[in-house]
Amino acid sequence: MKQQPIIEAEGLTKVYEDGHCALDHVSFGVQPGEVFCLLGGNGAGKTTTINIFLGFLPQTEGMAKIHGIDMRTDPLEAKKHVAYLSDVVMLYPNFTARQNLDFFARLGGKRNLTKEQYYSVLQQVGLQEIAFEQKLKGFSKGMRQKVGLAIAIIKEAPAIILDEPTTGLDPKAANEFQSMILHLRSQGRAILMSTHDIFRAKEVADTVGIMNDGKMLTIKSRKELEHEDLEKLYLNYIHGKVAA
Amino acid sequence: MIKILLEKELRDIVSSTKFAITFGAAAILVILSFYVGIRNYEESTREFEAARAVNASNVASLTDWRQVQHKVFRKPQPLQVLVSGVTNDIGRTTEVRPQGELTLINSRYNVDPLFAVFRFLDLNFVVIIVFSLFAILFGYDAINGEKESGTLKLILSNSVSRADVVLSKLLGSFLALVVPLLVPILIGCLMLIGFGVPMSGTDWVQLALVIGGGLLCFGAFLMLSIMISASVTRSSASFLLSLVIWIFSVLIIPKGAVLVAAQAVDVPSLDGVEAQKRKFTLGQFDQRFQKMGEFLRADITRDETWSQRFVTFQDSLNKAYEKEREEYYRKLNEDWRNKKDHQERWAFALSRLSPTAVFQIAAMNLANTDVSLKHRYLEDLNRYQDEYAEFLRKKTGSSGGMQIVMRFSGQQGAQEEERKPLNPTELPEFAERGRTLGETISASFADLGLLALLNILFFVGAFVRFLRFDVR
Repeated sequence: MKQQPIIEAEGLTKVYEDGHCALDHVSFGVQPGEVFCLLGGNGAGKTTTINIFLGFLPQTEGMAKIHGIDMRTDPLEAKKHVAYLSDVVMLYPNFTARQNLDFFARLGGKRNLTKEQYYSVLQQVGLQEIAFEQKLKGFSKGMRQKVGLAIAIIKEAPAIILDEPTTGLDPKAANEFQSMILHLRSQGRAILMSTHDIFRAKEVADTVGIMNDGKMLTIKSRKELEHEDLEKLYLNYIHGKVAA
Repeated sequence: MIKILLEKELRDIVSSTKFAITFGAAAILVILSFYVGIRNYEESTREFEAARAVNASNVASLTDWRQVQHKVFRKPQPLQVLVSGVTNDIGRTTEVRPQGELTLINSRYNVDPLFAVFRFLDLNFVVIIVFSLFAILFGYDAINGEKESGTLKLILSNSVSRADVVLSKLLGSFLALVVPLLVPILIGCLMLIGFGVPMSGTDWVQLALVIGGGLLCFGAFLMLSIMISASVTRSSASFLLSLVIWIFSVLIIPKGAVLVAAQAVDVPSLDGVEAQKRKFTLGQFDQRFQKMGEFLRADITRDETWSQRFVTFQDSLNKAYEKEREEYYRKLNEDWRNKKDHQERWAFALSRLSPTAVFQIAAMNLANTDVSLKHRYLEDLNRYQDEYAEFLRKKTGSSGGMQIVMRFSGQQGAQEEERKPLNPTELPEFAERGRTLGETISASFADLGLLALLNILFFVGAFVRFLRFDVR
């Protein structure tokens, strides 16, 4: 039986003041324990979709719901149920990994956590123990991304939104990151991830939504993709060789 | 929620290397400004005491009050330690004559032109140059810097309102920077006590207001730069814009205001006024000699009362010319002063476009080292001149002025009497009336209010801009 999606878009449309349509009636849903990859090139509408889900951008039409709460009508309540990680995770370079985690955990409503609890999450994302109390200014992008993921995990939100999280990561770090996503999926989190990395999408996604020019061209499940070459499929859609 | 954000803001600023370097530099400059000011004050006080002693000794070496060239010296004020204002530009010494116009000579910069080139390091300078720059350095990327580092999106992806974020940013930045800046200021205040600068209760109140004004000036720049940061997407652009505004505020607007006012309001040069005065006085001089000649030719009886008649004639002549000259000078001075006041009002009004100029005007008024210091001091001197003239009248029977003293052989006893050295303590004491605390506060109230208003305006501006800020 299909559950109520944790992340839900219905006819999501964004038209800017200059008339440019960034998003054209996009609909999809992400179930608990599902990784949904938004796949598309630059300007496809992936980040616009995510920005609407986080309340950074108001939609022109349609609905964006997190845990059944409409982001437009009650954004603060909706945001209690979502954790976010972007491609740019500089965080606070003068804070240690734990201090960064502490700040964002408290913002996310997790107060009075112990040092051990913070360490446990940092350990979970694979950050070396020696780095827990080190300032972030010396961290590599991969290490910062791990702290970012720890921030998303510690909130214990049912929905996780990741905006091109593996961009700029070396293969090892990207692989570790992928393992963490799969671990979160196993915990029943609904994960919406935007990427233009077809390989990564195929590895982690339960569902792939191919986007181009603000339109959701197709949504394919892992099962449907098993017998297809995702790269070929993607290129065919992008070049209009397959009817959307 | 705001508490968490505020804590983060405080910790983030205070733990940064940028803070350590800029705060260290600002702290050293603040303490140095107090130290330099105290040393200058001590030196000025020493010079003042020495000059007074020399004057007293000169008086004591004479035997006739009519020969005295009495000098009055401007007493150094404790608050000039922090806000030197125009105190070093105007003369410190005045030769007080019973009649005639008084002039101030021997200014600090006149004596030590080197100081005029680089000026003194005072708290006023530190606030205007260093604090304002300090504020910009911490405010320019307060909002867009967080956007660039991705933390703004991360914060706002939580159940946090934009109002909380911007309020914590504005208050947090202000507190994180102002509280540490109060530490060197406090050390400076302790130095004032330690070095024995005679600060009265009024001085402390005025000093507190100067510091308050400095913090308001700092706050205005901080809020302004945060507002810019919330209006411009890239931090490099907001830095450039903030820096341009800073340059205009600190360097261009105050100087430009003076230039514009000088063009808008034509004021005759002081040299021109002096030339007019000289011409008038020379005319009087000729007339006086003519009249004295007439007297000497008409009254040829050299009897016992002739000397007295001559003195009386001279006195009445002096009084008449003095009155006429004073009236003419007063009109000239008043006319010049009115035009100058008008020009100054223009210059100050225009310069108030700059928060640093507003602070400078307020601080100088609070420290009583503002541009009207000379005018106020001359008023005090003029009052003293009347007192001194009256003193001389009592001592010599004459109101002073240009006199020819004639002695006859029968007055030997009187001459003996006059040879006794003069007692300088008999001279009336000159005391600057200055301004009362109420007058001082009312003179600076509008500017302090304007600084507070700028803080509120930029605060609201930053708040509103952030509510519309594109965090993507």
